[in-house]
Amino acid sequence: MTTLRVLTVDDSRTILAMLHHTLSNAGFEVLQAEDGKQGLDLLKTETVDVVITDINMPVMDGIEFIKHVRASGQHQSLPILILTTETSQDKRDQGKAAGGTGWIVKPFDPEKLISVIHRVVH
Amino acid sequence: MSDLDEFKATYFDECSELLTELEEQFAAIEAGERDADRLNAVFRAIHSIKGGAGAFGFSALVGFAHAYETLLDYVRDGRIEMSDDVVTLCIRANDIVADHVSAARTGEVLPAEYGLDEKARFDALARGESIEDEDENGEPLEEFDFEFTPVMVNLDAVGPSDAFEMGDAFDLDDAFDSAPLQAEVGHWEINFTPHRALYARANDPLLLFRELAALGDMHVRAVLRDIPPLAEFEPFDVYCSWEISLVSASVTEALIREVFEFVEGDCDIVIAQVGDVPMAQPKPVFVEPEVEAVVEIEEPPADLLALADDEVADLLSLVSELTTTPTAEPLPDVLADPVQDIFDEAPVMSFAELAASIPPPPPKPAPVAPVRAMAPASDSEESTGRSVGVQSIRVDLDKVDRVVNMVSELVITQSMLTQQMDEALRAKYTELVRGLEVLAQTTRGLQDSVMAIRAQPVKSVFSRMPRLVRELSSQTGKKIRLETVGENTEIDKTVIEQLSDPLTHMIRNSADHGIESPEKRVAMGKSETGTVRLSAEQSGGNILIAVEDDGAGINRERVLQLARDKGIVAPDVQPTDEQIDQLIFAPGFSTAEALSDISGRGVGMDVVLSNIKKIGGSVHVRSWTGKGTRMTLRLPLTLAVLDVMLVKVGPSPYVVPLSSIVETIQCSRASFERVPSGGQVLQVRGEYVQVIDLATRFGMASEHASESRFVVLCEAEGNSKVALIVDDIIGQQQVVIKSLEENFERVDGIAGGTILGDGNVALIVDVQGLKTNVVHKSAA
Repeated sequence: MTTLRVLTVDDSRTILAMLHHTLSNAGFEVLQAEDGKQGLDLLKTETVDVVITDINMPVMDGIEFIKHVRASGQHQSLPILILTTETSQDKRDQGKAAGGTGWIVKPFDPEKLISVIHRVVH
Repeated sequence: MSDLDEFKATYFDECSELLTELEEQFAAIEAGERDADRLNAVFRAIHSIKGGAGAFGFSALVGFAHAYETLLDYVRDGRIEMSDDVVTLCIRANDIVADHVSAARTGEVLPAEYGLDEKARFDALARGESIEDEDENGEPLEEFDFEFTPVMVNLDAVGPSDAFEMGDAFDLDDAFDSAPLQAEVGHWEINFTPHRALYARANDPLLLFRELAALGDMHVRAVLRDIPPLAEFEPFDVYCSWEISLVSASVTEALIREVFEFVEGDCDIVIAQVGDVPMAQPKPVFVEPEVEAVVEIEEPPADLLALADDEVADLLSLVSELTTTPTAEPLPDVLADPVQDIFDEAPVMSFAELAASIPPPPPKPAPVAPVRAMAPASDSEESTGRSVGVQSIRVDLDKVDRVVNMVSELVITQSMLTQQMDEALRAKYTELVRGLEVLAQTTRGLQDSVMAIRAQPVKSVFSRMPRLVRELSSQTGKKIRLETVGENTEIDKTVIEQLSDPLTHMIRNSADHGIESPEKRVAMGKSETGTVRLSAEQSGGNILIAVEDDGAGINRERVLQLARDKGIVAPDVQPTDEQIDQLIFAPGFSTAEALSDISGRGVGMDVVLSNIKKIGGSVHVRSWTGKGTRMTLRLPLTLAVLDVMLVKVGPSPYVVPLSSIVETIQCSRASFERVPSGGQVLQVRGEYVQVIDLATRFGMASEHASESRFVVLCEAEGNSKVALIVDDIIGQQQVVIKSLEENFERVDGIAGGTILGDGNVALIVDVQGLKTNVVHKSAA
């Protein structure tokens, strides 16, 4: 099986670091972006198998980011997981409406994170 | 360092940046800039602090940040107005968050009731505003706390350090953890009809089946009866549904629902428990007998999609054939076989993918290629694109220090080489000389770059001060406003770290002794609110950091009296105003008549002086009675390398920091004038300057053979000048500072040592120290 590439988008370095640690330990290749804009730019040049994105970010938030990804045409079947906090049901709904595939609740548990990724990636 | 510790370190770093950001945003918000951008930035900062805190189980911090965040969310929604009261409350809340962060960092446990008042005020605010709103939109606003309680409990139960054990807060876990194992074999029938939206969000039935298959013995039947004739086929519509039977000893409905969690709302799903008899044959009731395309799979084969791709290609060519054939006839006969083929081998190939591969007719949206088809591109880009998006790295300071040291040594070696090229060689080896010049340039550039790595804006220290001023303000009952200027000025990180204490002390001093009470200020015709101005600027090779207040100024009479009482100044000496001001830094001196809570914590301003001296800086104070006081720190840009002038005093080389030199003068012995106190002065362009004969000062015979003397005119603190008499001036160069204290002991008038290119040791003259020393000496 080829290595899966994951793009993580979050403005918190802590969360990015923890995602990176968990995902690379699980054998994924990890790309990082600090906001939606960076994430979009990265997707122009990089091919990834799954995206994990935060909602609250400067420059371009997660909802906008997902909308842009979906609108870009070539990423319509790219799974996008939304990293949410425990209280943001409405954000989750917004994320879903924008085209989010699934969600991960913060703080995340590594095993569950991996299993959620496998739930949306071939 | 364990992974967790490393993450925590990252988290606390991030927190201090976010707290700085909060200070900045609120400074602007306080000034009236209450726009959505600022509010969003504040919200994000609190949100990020909370997010990380959750990961590490800092439950008190999470709890408070959560309540705060909710308040901010209401403000963002417009449910609560950003009034001055709310701003004040938020600023207080920032301080509490900062305290929680620092408690989390040190492991200190804050009292349980800490911050509860503010939390209660969040609630009160929300309720106060909500009385009208609540009835209208039916949204209760007091969801603040109890909505969040479960997470708090979970975090507590897990303990603070088990970030990776913290599954409890994870929604999905409930199903796993709380579902009792069922002993009997269960048989579930699931009807699953995806909608278009399911594919639009990149969900895929195949993956759902894969997950279900992991739960037990699974059979999937595709229901193809709704597939229209190809002519009516709408590529983006979904025609296929599935009937699944799942037999397992331990599966609950909750577990099955969990598999479909992400697609809830995007599909019709009926889950029924049939009984406990394992199903041997597919139940005919699910299948329309006349539809042949019913397929069973045990588990989706791994190479399914590869196969599917081939099939899609076949289908594509078929479709293109069909679309170019003008026929009105129904096509089921033609299609029967290919369709059958496809579903024999790729039964759960999603229609979205299939549809995505078909070039749509002109009015349709642009063709959409499945991700898989693009996968090969990643291989070629892998090597080049990996670092995209990475803009900075975090490096252990030790590693940078090692580089700094090596560069410093390189600087010495380079200057040694240059020095040892004598004139004869210079004339002969012009190429070598040119090479050395290039080497010197490169070394200098390298050194600057390395120093730049360690440079940081002073913002990180400045940002801690607004809070201090707020606290001082409430403790003293004085009204104090803090102004900061030049917070982007960069200084060596090692210097910055040493700045916090002295600055805190200086600001405390200003608030405590400088700024008057509001009544007194009004009586003096000043504004009620006093201002403390904290500024940073670069000045040559130095950074000047000033703390200025518009308070009463130093009470010189009292300072001098105290200094005489304490024996710091002899009774017969009358120091100048400037010297009196400087006395507040004398060891053991404190102007507070009674030790106050604020600045008199057992340490005086002498601690500021010694801290600053430790990092190669100096402190100067200037005061204007009734108008205010300015304390200035002069700090080196970097601790390691210094531009100096090499001079000779007696037989020994000394170096004088270039940054303090104004000019060098050659003059006759007769130019020096004796003053009654026993010292000498020199008139330079109409200004009398104190003269220090370094040879005498350093205990060498002051027999100067020649009438002509070399004088290095230096600037000490506060624009006061001092003239140093030396025997010879050798030249300028760069030296690497070696600490005298670490290798020997502190010597008055000497700032450190250095090793010269020829291997000799030279001492670095501390100009300010010499001058201050002379004052004290004569005063003693």
